[in-house]
Amino acid sequence: MPPLSLIPAKMLTQRTAPYLFLVPVLLFGLVFFALPLAASLYLSFTSWNSLVSPRWIGLANYEHLFTRDPLFLKTLLNTLVFTVGVVGIGVPASLLLAGVFSRSRYQALWRSIYSLPMVTNVVAVGFIWWFVLADPWGVLNRLLALIGIAGPAWLNDPSTAMIAVVMVFVWMHLGQNMLLFSAGLGAIDESLHEAARIDGASETRIFWSITLPLLRPTILFVLITSVITAISYFALILVLTEGGPVNSTNVTALYIYGMAFTDLRLGRASAAAYVLLVVIFLVSLLQLRVLRRGGVEAY
Amino acid sequence: MSPNPVGPLLKATFRLLSTSALAVACLGEPAWAQQKTITVATHYTDEQMRPLTACFRRYEAENPNIKIVHQQATFRDFLQTILTSRIGGRSPDIYNVYSIWGVQLVSNGVLAEPPADIVDFVRREYEARTVDAATVDGKIWGVPAEVSTYLLVYNKNLLREAGYSAPPRTWDELAAIAAKISKADAQGKLTVAGYAFGPTPANAVHPFRTLLFSRGRSLFTDDLRSTNLATPEAVEIVSKQAEIFRKNVTNSSIQVRDFPSGSVGMMITANWFKDTLRQGLGDKFESTVGVAPIPGGDDWRTYQYSFYYGVDARSPSKPEAWRLVRWLNTPSEPGKRSCVGDMLMTMGGLTANKADIAASQAEVNAPFTRPYMEAISSGRAISEKNVPQASEIEVTIRGAIEEAWLGRQDPQKALSAANAQIESILKEAR
Repeated sequence: MPPLSLIPAKMLTQRTAPYLFLVPVLLFGLVFFALPLAASLYLSFTSWNSLVSPRWIGLANYEHLFTRDPLFLKTLLNTLVFTVGVVGIGVPASLLLAGVFSRSRYQALWRSIYSLPMVTNVVAVGFIWWFVLADPWGVLNRLLALIGIAGPAWLNDPSTAMIAVVMVFVWMHLGQNMLLFSAGLGAIDESLHEAARIDGASETRIFWSITLPLLRPTILFVLITSVITAISYFALILVLTEGGPVNSTNVTALYIYGMAFTDLRLGRASAAAYVLLVVIFLVSLLQLRVLRRGGVEAY
Repeated sequence: MSPNPVGPLLKATFRLLSTSALAVACLGEPAWAQQKTITVATHYTDEQMRPLTACFRRYEAENPNIKIVHQQATFRDFLQTILTSRIGGRSPDIYNVYSIWGVQLVSNGVLAEPPADIVDFVRREYEARTVDAATVDGKIWGVPAEVSTYLLVYNKNLLREAGYSAPPRTWDELAAIAAKISKADAQGKLTVAGYAFGPTPANAVHPFRTLLFSRGRSLFTDDLRSTNLATPEAVEIVSKQAEIFRKNVTNSSIQVRDFPSGSVGMMITANWFKDTLRQGLGDKFESTVGVAPIPGGDDWRTYQYSFYYGVDARSPSKPEAWRLVRWLNTPSEPGKRSCVGDMLMTMGGLTANKADIAASQAEVNAPFTRPYMEAISSGRAISEKNVPQASEIEVTIRGAIEEAWLGRQDPQKALSAANAQIESILKEAR
């Protein structure tokens, strides 16, 4: 009996074999990435409510978003504030923790503890923090009252709601970035630090001149993934504030979700999603350019 | 090499199976193949559905060719869940439709037009004002079920402590009483709100509607192309609400859900909130909770909306579905409640079914429920004409009102902006 073969031997040339082996991945990418991307691009030029067939309206959705929609630009601004907040606080904090724990005796224990929020369901996280931040009977405001401070209505005051959401998000994602930084720190050759110490460099100087430059590939990765996550994130906000009060925490991703599934404006939501996609692409490109030296090229 | 012995065996088995299947098909369909499954989609929990589920089983026993399946989705996710299942070609046969979704579902051909006998049944057996809520473009689209309306609910103990023996009759009286009830701690933080609002769009828009109706204005203009949000009456209502925020009589932290904890003096809320209050207050419910007319003066009016049972236009079992809907809403014998009436009364809801009201005198005459029933039967509870994109419009109004409450925008400016936005939404939907 001849050997069982699904692919005729003629087709398995040196030139075609790699492509044939890539077929499953390419098919997966086509079905779950390229086709939805193309479909939503088409939908962004239509008016579609999911109940009847899409109607072609050209650039009207984009025109509406940028000229008549009273909230879209505000949500983009909120997204910017949220992203700057979570990246600006979260990335240095996780680097600091990774640095501290790399010298700790109980590294594994600390890493596990800080990773717990990462594996906790976002609804549970939101619920727990709601009890902490609620006003006036939340844990945080009760503690502040003990020392005579009137805590704000963290989640109900438009001036503090975004701060509260950023803090909870940072807490939730601290462990993930900390693990990446720990791995990056572990990969740095300790002899470089020793050599610097022998040369009389202070710990601060070692950090700025040796650790940080050698950590640039990890920093680049953490920054890009954190920025992409932050720009397209909304689950925690949906649970904690639903974008309120008065849209002060309404980020673009959450706005798109409501537009698509509550208002059934799937065409316009697709257009807004494409705007967000372009924003993410441009920001990632900028980060790559700025941090390329010592970053990607170092790999 | 010897031929593979598995091949002939497989062929024989295949032949046997094919012959058997053909024989079964020729002998006639079995009972399970003739059975029709009717899916009923609602936002009620299994616990709330218990009386109706028992009726489903009874109906199945009486009609062996029908199987009834309950598809549950939370109220918040209900519309998107049923529409998503529709896109996937798995539409429920019967929907429990929130009246404000009506226009959207009708204009997109989701709901089936009821047969003449159902229309006659609805006109004959239901309160006329509630039938309006199930009406789109002059046509009835389903059988009314749960009815909700709004009244002033107050904490009798807090009013008594503040020196008041009767609830307010106007908003100015309400503001004065609320100011006396409210309490703050050493840091100036409000611990008891004289009056409370709620967090959802409906929590802001529905009470606002009651006050607007009481001033003789509807929310939408007669041609349904615009709103009365920028009228002096609407601006005055929101300005006065914003004033109690400014005076620290209320805030956005203490909300209607806090009523059972004793930190809310008054609120305009719907009858379905009874269950929450009863659970929170336990045996103190009767002695604590008072219900009064909307504080809108002698000509007060209130807002009512309803749910109704409609049938999907694509349902392959439309006649069976309508027959089931009618059966569920018809008392099994005179003097008894219908299945839907039974369920609503058990969960503390209201109905506009005349037979159910007649058979539920103990429930509808309970101190909490009676004022709500009277508001409906007296015609003071009004259901406005349904408009498209109603949920989106409610969110827009909530945003404008909240901007004014929190002092971030002048009420006139906020409401005018909302009006312009809603005009644009309505124009786009035409």
